[in-house]
Formats: sequence, structure tokens, C-alpha cells
Amino acid sequence: MPQDLPAPVRRNLDLGHGNFLLELHAPAHAAEVSPGQFFMLGVEGTDILLRRPFSVCGARDTFADAPQDAIQILYRVVGKGTALMAALRAGATVQALGPLGHGFHPPDPGTLPLFVAGGIGSAPFPALAKALRGHARVPWMVYGARTAADLPLLDWFRDHCERVEVTTEDGSAGRKGRVTAPLEEILSAASPGSLQLYACGPNPMLAVVARLARAHGMPCDLSLEAPMACGFGVCLGCVVPCHAPDGGTRFERVCVEGPILRAERLAW
Amino acid sequence: MVTDLAVDVGGGLRLKNPVLTASGTFGYGLEFRPFLDLSALGGLVTKGLSPRPRRGTPPPRIAETPSGMLNAIGLQNVGVDAFLAEKLPELRAHDTAVVANVFGETVAEYVEVCAKLDGAAGLAAVELNVSCPNVACGGMVFGQDPVALAEVTRACRRATRLPLWVKLSPNVTDIREFARAAEGEGADAVSLVNTFVGMAVDVERRRPVLHNVSGGLSGPAIRPLAVWMTWQVYRTVKIPIIGIGGILTGHDALEFLLAGASAVQVGTANFIRPDAAVRVVREIEAYLDRHGIATVRELTGALQDGVPR
Repeated sequence: MPQDLPAPVRRNLDLGHGNFLLELHAPAHAAEVSPGQFFMLGVEGTDILLRRPFSVCGARDTFADAPQDAIQILYRVVGKGTALMAALRAGATVQALGPLGHGFHPPDPGTLPLFVAGGIGSAPFPALAKALRGHARVPWMVYGARTAADLPLLDWFRDHCERVEVTTEDGSAGRKGRVTAPLEEILSAASPGSLQLYACGPNPMLAVVARLARAHGMPCDLSLEAPMACGFGVCLGCVVPCHAPDGGTRFERVCVEGPILRAERLAW
Repeated sequence: MVTDLAVDVGGGLRLKNPVLTASGTFGYGLEFRPFLDLSALGGLVTKGLSPRPRRGTPPPRIAETPSGMLNAIGLQNVGVDAFLAEKLPELRAHDTAVVANVFGETVAEYVEVCAKLDGAAGLAAVELNVSCPNVACGGMVFGQDPVALAEVTRACRRATRLPLWVKLSPNVTDIREFARAAEGEGADAVSLVNTFVGMAVDVERRRPVLHNVSGGLSGPAIRPLAVWMTWQVYRTVKIPIIGIGGILTGHDALEFLLAGASAVQVGTANFIRPDAAVRVVREIEAYLDRHGIATVRELTGALQDGVPR
């Protein structure tokens, strides 16, 4: 059951290049949240009206140096709302509504989890990696960004994934190009149904990942982002077109039916 | 002192307090059960109900603007039949006034929905949406022509025995003309205002932010405009006014009451804080206590230096 609670800031780590890791003291949220779910965060006393949605990056034991009653949010400064968040210091309080939406589907037994992340789209994967531990194979990851500085928590992923393939559009880290190149190689070398894809990033990237997953017969969860005012299904601002049972399409809410949707549901 | 928060909003309908939630910001009410006690509200107004389910507008549908937001949802809703079968039975369990917001593309469609709602147990009133700016047919088309507004009000008046509210559009030269038309055709109350038509531009991509190009502006940005319209309408008609426009707090609600509203609707605030409407009730109550006012009904139009109507 989601709750709307004040959450004191424990720390707000500057990871460089506009990327931050916000840690909140939020015992009830930490106990409830599943990987892939999200929170609506509001910074009070500002001229920003609406809260902003953020995937949970970590909770409980995700990060070794954090307490059990904390949650972590990985974010990138992209506008006014996130700029205000970046100015938060320990002791400040944010209003946190959640956990909201549906989390990631567990992988089928024996399949290899494969994370596909575009830049700040890596945000939900630490929590997922930790949750899979002991219940699934150690994941692989394909992690792409424009430039080396846009790969937050790369070292963490190298420690917690069996294999990490890095791409940058400018060639400043890993292979020059986009995530789709190493992804296609991995998919081509695997038999259909042997991988469980989990993808988060810009919509054009997700659309390509969804197409490749289908072509290679791999189940694929997409973590979607959309502008939303409420986060719990009433503003209807965050819809995406999805296939309907009658053969047509209909608009589904990212906040309630998502933010994790099976790739085949989307009618892009 | 026991504070009396009850208000009369026409057609014999008395609300336990003057705070409702506005159509389009509160779903069908049930979505808010995790966050507040629906019975603490004076009432709730449903998402606009059309004769058949509506798909709505393609995204992007919303954008934040200074002290406000633009939306173009296109009245996506489950349709009146699904509301009656699936939503209303659950709402009946809560001791609050349920008001059905009604939308049609033609007069006949408004009448069709009103007629279906007329016999339903557990409905307190019907609110006509003649002011949605985001649909090609119906909606604001009726709200921008006093003759058309009179026609749809008259037809719906005949189709329902429930108290009838008409929700007015602010996108007109003189809103008083429209309030008069609604009153003249038997409306029990007018609610005002719906959203103002606006537009935001993504300058990097040189595109409108919203797929629909324009959207309805809501939030604190419109509050002074809405308070002024409430005041104008208060001096024009005798039927109760339900004030709407950017109410976030009890203070904001009191502005509308003092300008002439008998009740208010909290809208965009529901997105920001899901318990916002209940907080508004408590803050109005605290104001009455602080000023030693026995009943909230005394506040309607009670500006000290106001021009009496």
C-alpha cells in the first residue's frame, strides 16, 4: 500500500556530471518497495508545483554502506525539479509518495538476466541486481551513454554483474557506438528464451531493444518514464499506447499498469 | 464551540462541509482510498462520464507551467455504464456526496448520460461539463455560446431529478451571461471555473509540448482569475456557486467563499498531495475557530467592504 510520508535526506552524493544519488531515511518505504517501483518526490517550499517520479535505485541491503531503513534514488539534473533536488543537503526533508506501480517480473528459472541501460536509465538496476541474488543467475549488463561521465555507478555494476559491456557515443569509454551493437551480439549468440531482458533508458532505445528482443525470442521488461502529475492513476497524463485484447490499441497508464511493462504490450 | 461546516448547494442538497474534489483530478474517488477518508469530504466529483468509453488524446498530455499545469487528456473515461456497474456501488460505502460529471458531444448525448444516472442510488448531483477545452465536439462548444448552454441545460433539466450543476468555462468574454443562462434554465448551482486554454512550446524541438497543441491551464496560476469570476457571478445570479481554481490550502478556499462561493472544489492539488482536500477542510475549520464564526455559511460573499448583491 503506498504511503505519503516525509523523508529526511541522509545524504545526496554528487556522482559528477549532473548525476546524484539521494539517500532518504524512509523505513516504511524501504520495507515495502520492490525493484522497478517508483516514488513521487516533492521538495516543499519551492515554486515547483508537481512532484517528480523516480525509480527506486536501492533499498534495504542494496548498497553495503547504507542502513536497512533507507532508500536510494539515482537521478540526473535535467530541469528545475531535479536542480532543486541537487541542492538538498542532509537534514532537509522531501515528501515521498510510494511505492507506486508494478515492479520487474522475476526471470524464468535458469534464464540469464540481462540489463540494458541508457545513461541514467541504469537507476532501477542496483535494486534488481540485489533482489535477484540467490534467486537467479548473476546478471549481465549492457550500459551505454553519450560519454564516459554519463555512466553513474559503473564500478558498482562491474562488482555486481558477471559481465558489463560499455558503449559511449563519443568513444570516451568502452566501445564507440550505441548499446544495440553489443546487445545484438549477445542476443545472436544465445538461444531463444535463454535471456530475460530488463531495459531502461530513452524511449527510442527502448523501442529498439523491444524489437531486438522480439526478433530473438527473448522476454523483455521495459521500465518506462513519462511526464505525470499524480503517480497513482488519476491525472491520466502518463499514458502509452498498448495492444488491447480486442486487437486494437488503448492507452495504459505508466504509473499504474507500469512503469514496468512487458515489451510486447507496447504498440509503438 | 462546535463548528458547523455544512453548506447548502441548491436543489435541497446539503453537504457536510464545503470542500469537494474537482472532476478530472480525483478519478472515480476509489483511487484515493489509500490516502484519505472519503467520508471526510463534503463531496467528490467524478471524471467526466460520456455515453461510451473514450480513448482520450495521444501523449504528451501534460506539462508543468509556472504555478500551474496544462493538460489535454481528451476526457478518457470508462463510460457511464461501467461507472454505474463498477464504481458507484463501491462509492456508496462512503458517507460523502458523489457528484457525476457528465459529458456529451451532442445535446442528445448529455441527455442520455443524465437519464442513465437519474435512477442510480447513491448519487447526490449531476455536474454538466460544458467547458472541456480538449475535445473536438461538445464540451466547451456548449460553454462558449449562451444559447447552446441554455439548450443543453434545459434538456438535461428535463432528464434528471437530481440537483443539476453547470460547470462554466472561463474562456468567454463575460462569464455572467453564461451563469444567467444556466440559472434561467433551472440549474441548481453553477461551478466555476474549468481550465483556461493555454499552450506551451518546446523551443529546442520547435514543437508544441502537448500532442493536442493546446491544453487546459489549472493550478494556482489561475486562482485570482477564478476568484474574480466567482465574485462577478455572485453579484449576478441567486443560485449557489461552487468555486474552483488553484485551491491548495484552506486560505485559498476561503478566498472563494468570501468572494461568493457556497462551496469549493479542490483540483490540481489532489495530484500534488493526495490528502490535500481533507487538509483544506481542517484549515477552514481552524479559521472558523480562530475567528469565532459559528457556521461556514456566514462566510459566503461576506467581504467586509464588498458590494452587496
